[in-house]
Amino acid sequence: MKIGSIIILLLMNMIFLSGCWSNRELPDLALVSALGIDKAENGQYVGTIQVINPGNVAGGEGTQATGSESTPITTYTASGGNLTEVNRHVSSQVSRRPYYAHTNLLVIGEKLAREEGIAKIFDALERDPEFRTTTKAVIATNNTKAEDIISTLTTIDKIPSNKVIKTLESTEQILGQHMNVDTRDVLSKMATPDQAPIITCFSMEGDENQGKSLENIQATVPEARLQASGIAVLKDGKMIDTITEDVSKGTMWVLNKIKATAVSIDWKGETDAIVYQVTRQKTDVTADMKNTNKPKISVEVSAEGRIGEAAVPVDLSNPLLLVEFEEALGEKIKENIMSSIHKAQELKADYLGFGGAVHRADPNAWESIKGEWEDSYFPEVEVDVTVDAFVRRTGLRNEPLLSNMEN
Amino acid sequence: MENAKINAMQLFVLIFLFELGSALLIPLGTEAKQDAWLAILAGVAGGVFLFYIYLRLYKYYPDILPTEYMQMLLGKIFGKILACIYIVYFLYISARVLRDFGEMLVTFAYEETPLFIVNALLLLTIVYTVHKGIEVIARTGQLLFVVLYFLAVAGFILVIVSGLIEIKNLKPVLENGVMPVVKTFFKETWYIPFGEVVVFIMIFPYINRPKKLKKAGIAAIVLSGINLVITMAINIAVLGVDLTSRSQFPLLNTIQAIQVAEFLERLDVFFMIALIVGGFIKITIYFYAAVTGVSNLFHVKETSKLAYPLGIVVLILSLSIASSYTEHIQEGLMIVSLYMHLPLQVIIPILLLIVAYFKNKKKERSK
Amino acid sequence: MKFKLRKLSRPITKSIPKKPGKKEEPLDHSLPNNLDELMKRTGNSSDIVVRKLTLNNDAKSRAAIIFVEGIVDNRSIDDFLIHSLINDDDLHRVEAEDEVLEKIAAKVVSLGDVKRINGWDKLFQSLFAGDTIILVDGIAQGLSTYTKGGESRSIEEPPTEISLRGPREGFTESLRTNTALVRRRIKNQDLWVKSITLGEMTNTNVEIMYIDGLARDKVVQEVCDRLNRINIDSILESGYIEELIEDQTATTFPTVQHTERPDSVAGNLLEGRVAIFVDRTPFVLIVPAVFIQFFQSVDDYYSRADIATSIRMLRILIFLISLFAPAVYVAATTFHQEMIPTQLLIVLAAQREAAPFPAVIEAILMELTFEILREAGVRMPKAVGQTISIVGALVIGQAAVQAGIVSPAMVIIVAITAIASFATPSYSIAISARLIRFGMMIAAATFGFYGIILSFIILLVHLCSLRSFGVPYMAPMAPFIASGADDTIVRLPWWGGKERPRLTVDKNSIRQGDNQKPKPPSSRTMK
Repeated sequence: MKIGSIIILLLMNMIFLSGCWSNRELPDLALVSALGIDKAENGQYVGTIQVINPGNVAGGEGTQATGSESTPITTYTASGGNLTEVNRHVSSQVSRRPYYAHTNLLVIGEKLAREEGIAKIFDALERDPEFRTTTKAVIATNNTKAEDIISTLTTIDKIPSNKVIKTLESTEQILGQHMNVDTRDVLSKMATPDQAPIITCFSMEGDENQGKSLENIQATVPEARLQASGIAVLKDGKMIDTITEDVSKGTMWVLNKIKATAVSIDWKGETDAIVYQVTRQKTDVTADMKNTNKPKISVEVSAEGRIGEAAVPVDLSNPLLLVEFEEALGEKIKENIMSSIHKAQELKADYLGFGGAVHRADPNAWESIKGEWEDSYFPEVEVDVTVDAFVRRTGLRNEPLLSNMEN
Repeated sequence: MENAKINAMQLFVLIFLFELGSALLIPLGTEAKQDAWLAILAGVAGGVFLFYIYLRLYKYYPDILPTEYMQMLLGKIFGKILACIYIVYFLYISARVLRDFGEMLVTFAYEETPLFIVNALLLLTIVYTVHKGIEVIARTGQLLFVVLYFLAVAGFILVIVSGLIEIKNLKPVLENGVMPVVKTFFKETWYIPFGEVVVFIMIFPYINRPKKLKKAGIAAIVLSGINLVITMAINIAVLGVDLTSRSQFPLLNTIQAIQVAEFLERLDVFFMIALIVGGFIKITIYFYAAVTGVSNLFHVKETSKLAYPLGIVVLILSLSIASSYTEHIQEGLMIVSLYMHLPLQVIIPILLLIVAYFKNKKKERSK
Repeated sequence: MKFKLRKLSRPITKSIPKKPGKKEEPLDHSLPNNLDELMKRTGNSSDIVVRKLTLNNDAKSRAAIIFVEGIVDNRSIDDFLIHSLINDDDLHRVEAEDEVLEKIAAKVVSLGDVKRINGWDKLFQSLFAGDTIILVDGIAQGLSTYTKGGESRSIEEPPTEISLRGPREGFTESLRTNTALVRRRIKNQDLWVKSITLGEMTNTNVEIMYIDGLARDKVVQEVCDRLNRINIDSILESGYIEELIEDQTATTFPTVQHTERPDSVAGNLLEGRVAIFVDRTPFVLIVPAVFIQFFQSVDDYYSRADIATSIRMLRILIFLISLFAPAVYVAATTFHQEMIPTQLLIVLAAQREAAPFPAVIEAILMELTFEILREAGVRMPKAVGQTISIVGALVIGQAAVQAGIVSPAMVIIVAITAIASFATPSYSIAISARLIRFGMMIAAATFGFYGIILSFIILLVHLCSLRSFGVPYMAPMAPFIASGADDTIVRLPWWGGKERPRLTVDKNSIRQGDNQKPKPPSSRTMK
């Protein structure tokens, strides 16, 4: 017992005297909120980190005095042959240790995504215990560098990375043309031939230098604005094209990601006269493998919603009319979906997940065709789309204002 | 042997926690892809079978430790040698689990801390616990069981609420036929964690009502199996097969994916508690078995005294068995499963049972 | 309605045996000699009153009564002792000298208890217990008559255990009053009291009380044995006894419960526990005590079961907060920043930006400050107490934050912890949590959550290894005992738990009849 306690005592001493290896105080950390990666002309990576200045972001008594004059973020840029090197080089500029656990946005430059692909950088990120896979990913397009997205100051949401993420969330919900993708999604899709990954694109409108100064957030119309601009399609880890508007909306329909979007149809010669607001949506993608060499895909969509606008005089209290609407809406949605499918087949990139449907339907057949799925089978695949749209209610009014005015 | 008794419920809890111990954390049975859960289910069946063998052995000698009845069955010399082998096996596995555990902690949270310190701290806790004896281990187990189950239920609800589960990922079932499942069963899930119940033959003699043993044991194996199945299925459903099998700790990735209400996120501490509690129970039981075995075999009266020297042995062993984590894992998959788990968990107990059967038959006849 | 009646009591195995004392010195025959000896032995103490008198105007038979001023009831001495002794006619007729005492005891003294005394030790024992001694010249014996009295505090509401609903009576310093308060609650012949005198110098009366047939014989025996083992000069408070009889000394957790409430004692006796009363203190000890008992207050039993259960859960949460809150803060802000939600982290980072101390030093400083404030406030008169709280709250709390010496978040954490440690119903478990909290903070500062979780496991192992009079401390949770679990964190309604807790009661375990759940008629007319 005595010997035992002495040993324990020695051990304890050793531990406490030498302790605190992984200890890091908050003021020693540079909280990186976003990470941007570009590819320079010489082939090196250019990494930009967006570091939060906590004192300028958080409200409260103690922090006001330290100055509202300075920016909520600071960005640092460095280049290197691989990400680890970039990180080491950045540290020569930052007074604190860059800390990536709270990085919630990853911006990839278009050049990098197109030329080299994203697999290499994703490996480094995935391997790192600090970096989290819930981080959202976007691609900077329209001649915008990742660096610009990272360093543009934004209003309302003080931290630009938060602004990008919140924009992604709201546009996915309200518009239904962009998708809020985190790195985990991208990673798991890149690993299987079942489905190709897609990543939402972001771009900056306006003057990039203006965006970096405080004046940008002191104007009601900021000189430089960040906005979502379509969805990038990736094949074999490389970006091949972007899809926008109806095509991207159709994609969201197939992927079962529509939460609340609006569909407008023409009525009585009037374009986009009736607007339908979707409240609920369900899509099933199944594969028919009777003919192994020629899989048949069927997409079944059902949507529920209400009438949001009626720009022509129609009698909305007539149930039969609503049935007509439903048919027209179904056609319109189907059109969207078909445009997306055609685009996908044209690009030979299966971002719609039809491969997964085939995989689930007939694993054995999938085993033999999965190697050539995207290039030879997918473009030829026959798709059968059925859409059931239901108009459940018509909003707070039944007859539109217009019908009374004309009388 | 200590002068102590535990009841059937405590044994149930110990087996349950022991089974979940490290199996909860590692990518268990992912060689079978999305059918990992089937491989685990098969493991449950195998585990129940093995448990039955250990039970029969125990029934022949309900009051003495295996280290003793091995000597009765095989003769003094061979019995002692076999008992020694088992003790070394238990020590070695506790060192292995300790290494596993330390590596996990270093990889995921304590990158700058030396492995030695991480291991030493946990071992200190374990030595203290083993020093207190089996009754205290069993009681602590009961409390930790509540802690762990509370976490598990909370985590389960959170995963569901955050809408992460994609059942699609679990399909198609039996994609490549039954063979991968069977293969995984024989290579992995039969032994880890289910065959590892062999260590409990050192604890069976402490039970106060032997009649309840069978029910408690089988219930624990089945229930822990179900829990593992659910966990693994959730991991695959959330992360997908590929990510699950490439990940060192799929459960950690699943927990990290939880995001509810902008606040319930970054719940890594759940994983950490599960990791430490699981590792603690598992090593404690292996280590306790080794300590009891040594004291029984070499007639050391005060079992608790042995905990300190043997603890140092385990600590040093845990650091020296492999130079890198990869080497450590490869040793585990290539050597330990085949040359240690299979003979010591399956073959030798069956042989012992056969010998015991004939010996006891002879005895009965001579009566 | 079928009650299972308890078996009638059987005698307890062994009562507390007398200590083998030294041989007693006898009294002398002569009264003056005796009185001289008395004065010599007590050093002429001024509070000892010797009243000399002659029995029945007969100058030959002199006598003296001796008592200690202040601990006797003066009226009963005047009315029932001196008056009767002086005026009684019968005494002079007694022939044999021995019979005088007999006569006095049987006919003259009209007081409750009269005992015969042979030696000095006995004499002093009863004299200082408040009895009055009668010595008669020519007889080497004396009488001690029960005249205990004097000033004592009246029964008040116990200040340390206030309940919202329940009796307002609390124990006082008088042992007899205390046993009476319990006796009034349990009117049953099975409520037994055993007495022992402890302390070489103080000769303190200690009594153990239990319900025969409910308390385990082994436990009662063990309590007696442990009390008998005590050989100490003084027992001034039940805390002395608590330390001398507990199972494990190397622990901060209380393994003996103490209470000021008679209803709490009664409830515990009915669960088969043993109470130890010590004279001159309102705190009564209860053994065996288990961990969860310290989270139960008498209010729980008087309020609705669902309310009581939720409050008990809250108390467990409070206990955990008071143990872990600062440690978790330290661990999260110095090791595991990845586990803090981003927005919260930014706020914390902004606060810590200019903080001069590392988080753990800040935490220990603030906790220490709080402990100092608390210690200063506890013993202060009420008027000064307010000053201290103002100085503490405003000057130290506010000023420290404004000066930028500590971060506001830390003050919040310390405040929550402080309130939590006051909200734990038992002071003895709260103070033990406070002590462990500092250990937790150091563990957190060296190893983050790893340190906290390991410390937590060690704490659990330690708790599980404790016993109180043979009962595992963490029972009925670990080991889990179903029959006791209806009154742990969850309190089932009274009709829900039929059995007494198995931990402390092995026989007569049925508490109530079947089907006690109220079944009022369903119709509104009560038909």
